[in-house]
Amino acid sequence: MLSKSSARMFFLVGTALCAVAFILLTLDTFQQIPGQTNQDELSPAAIRGKHLFDSSNCMGCHTILGEGAYYAPELTRVYDRRGPEFIAAMLRDPAAMYPGRRRMEQYDFTEEQISDLVAFLEWVGKMDLNGFPANPPLAANAGVAAAPDDGRPAIFGQMCTACHAVGGRGGSVGPSLDGVGTRFDAEYLTRWLTDPQSVRPGTAMPDLPLTEAQVSELTAYLVTLHD
Amino acid sequence: MKYESQRIAYWFFATCMLLFGLQLVYGFIMAFAHAGLDGLHDIIPFHTARAVHTNLLVMWNLCGFMGAAYFIVPEESERELYWPKLAVVQLVAFVAVGVTAVIGFHFSWWEGRKFLEIPRPLDYLVVVDVLLFIANIGMTILKGKRITTTASVLFFGLLMAALLYLPGMIPTDNQTQDSYLRWWVVHLWVEGVWELIMGGILAFLLIKLTGIDREIIEKWLYVIVGLTFLSGILGTGHHYYYIGTPSYWLWIGGIFSALEPLAFLGMAMYGITMARKGGRKHANRTALAWTVGCCVMSFVGAGFLGFAHTLPQVNMYTHGTLVTAMHGHMAFWGAYAMLVLAIITYAMPLLTGRKLYDRPGAAFAFWTSNIGMIAMTLAFGIAGVTQVALERRMGMDFLAVQEEVEVHFWGLILAATLFTLGITAFIVNFIQHGLPKGDVEATLGGAAPDESTDTSDDDGAVAAADPVEA
Repeated sequence: MLSKSSARMFFLVGTALCAVAFILLTLDTFQQIPGQTNQDELSPAAIRGKHLFDSSNCMGCHTILGEGAYYAPELTRVYDRRGPEFIAAMLRDPAAMYPGRRRMEQYDFTEEQISDLVAFLEWVGKMDLNGFPANPPLAANAGVAAAPDDGRPAIFGQMCTACHAVGGRGGSVGPSLDGVGTRFDAEYLTRWLTDPQSVRPGTAMPDLPLTEAQVSELTAYLVTLHD
Repeated sequence: MKYESQRIAYWFFATCMLLFGLQLVYGFIMAFAHAGLDGLHDIIPFHTARAVHTNLLVMWNLCGFMGAAYFIVPEESERELYWPKLAVVQLVAFVAVGVTAVIGFHFSWWEGRKFLEIPRPLDYLVVVDVLLFIANIGMTILKGKRITTTASVLFFGLLMAALLYLPGMIPTDNQTQDSYLRWWVVHLWVEGVWELIMGGILAFLLIKLTGIDREIIEKWLYVIVGLTFLSGILGTGHHYYYIGTPSYWLWIGGIFSALEPLAFLGMAMYGITMARKGGRKHANRTALAWTVGCCVMSFVGAGFLGFAHTLPQVNMYTHGTLVTAMHGHMAFWGAYAMLVLAIITYAMPLLTGRKLYDRPGAAFAFWTSNIGMIAMTLAFGIAGVTQVALERRMGMDFLAVQEEVEVHFWGLILAATLFTLGITAFIVNFIQHGLPKGDVEATLGGAAPDESTDTSDDDGAVAAADPVEA
């Protein structure tokens, strides 16, 4: 039956063939990666962001391209999901964004570093990843149409819907904002957005890093939400 | 033990025990953080614990392989190590680099690339250190009285492991290229050349423990490592499904990954068959238990649980979830941790002259750690499948899902406690052996019958017929 020398031949030939095939495929893959990842759009800021991403060991908690640790959210499509304002706010003060919940390290990044990281995440978000990450097929709001153009400011879609839902779309951490304009007036909402703790001490609502202009923009939109 | 210089293996194994113990501590820090208790966040944040946990694993596995090589190669080559003193230097340097890296992680000195977090200057030192080791082993084999298949496979595995560390050091600005090259190291190590090392060590253990003819064991060794490379090299493709690489990897990776369990199944059948058909009743049954256990658990962890999520259609939803942690824990435990513990269990009585493998603690260590690891895998599996269902399938928010699965991490902590009890018993048993002592002759001649059998010429000793073909 099988002799030791034929077993050795099986090992050597099989390994050599597979290794050659793998090297050829690798060469082809390296030809194709620039196109598939839009490498021409890889700006110096995004490159700085990538190296900052590495030197901060973001992969030690997060996944990107599905790779990393499973302690913090997938970041591949975070630019689309949350948007630049949310990402920047999170990087400035993570504890403020999710008070009392799983903690992210306070990195004390400069504003320039933050925009580098945002540029990197924006670039990663546009890659062709063969369909990953898939849209959740069983999502409750899978059938709900995209967010309606109801005059909502861009910052609403980035900061507020992370926790709150409007018309069934958005997060479930805070209460739904449907009808919030019926329940509260602009003055109350302004105070609430500026300093939630003074309105209701102990609330889980974060003290969001919003400018005054953003607050009035949000308030103007929120009062239009009626039941 | 036949050669004076084999004794250096003891110090490699002792380092293994130390690093392994430390690895468990950092595992607990992460498990508690996942369960909602992150009291150490300000001192040891999750990503530090994670880098330490995985890098300690790699370090103690490599340390175990080096110790195993220093123990096995003189016996296979029938001569002392070529440069015995270099082995000492090389261990000290290895530990120094490792300790520096682990301390550095606590001060955010790292590269932040999953599994390859060690900062670049230390990477070069690792390469130099491993090359010294390769040179020492290589010269010993070359100048030896004979060149056996077992020693050659072991050497080839170690050499390739050193060479494959290099692609991970190629600088790139593109995340996809970075990731692509990182898997050249990580995947081609653990599902490629490390399996050569595993095959070599297993062959040595099976020759010694079962008494089956060397020619037969080594013939099947070729078949096993052949299957490993046939499936494992192109099986790297299962890391290239969704990272910005061409879509042909979906079917290449899918098909060849589906073959990977075959290599591990072959390994399991090989271990079990050799152990059952072997004519020699070696007294160190505990070492045989670890050896066969390694073959079986690597099939379950690396082969079966790996296959459970390498099909592209499944991986679309499990990629980047706790399902990976489920597979990763049992795969590393079965294939590499148990392998190192097997060679340690086999070598310790020979190195120290004390036979403690019959102590209740030795059997307790084997069973408790394995039951603990199976329970840990279940806990990770339940948490992972829940995460996939809620987050990836139903679209729930990441943090909300993490809070849903916190309870499974309490299950994980219980299981890990059981596992740690087993490992503690192993380490206690290791310490009870004491330091290596007695001269080579005393071990050779004055030992109990099993040891003298052990040191007799093993080639063609007992079973002449091939048990697999018989």
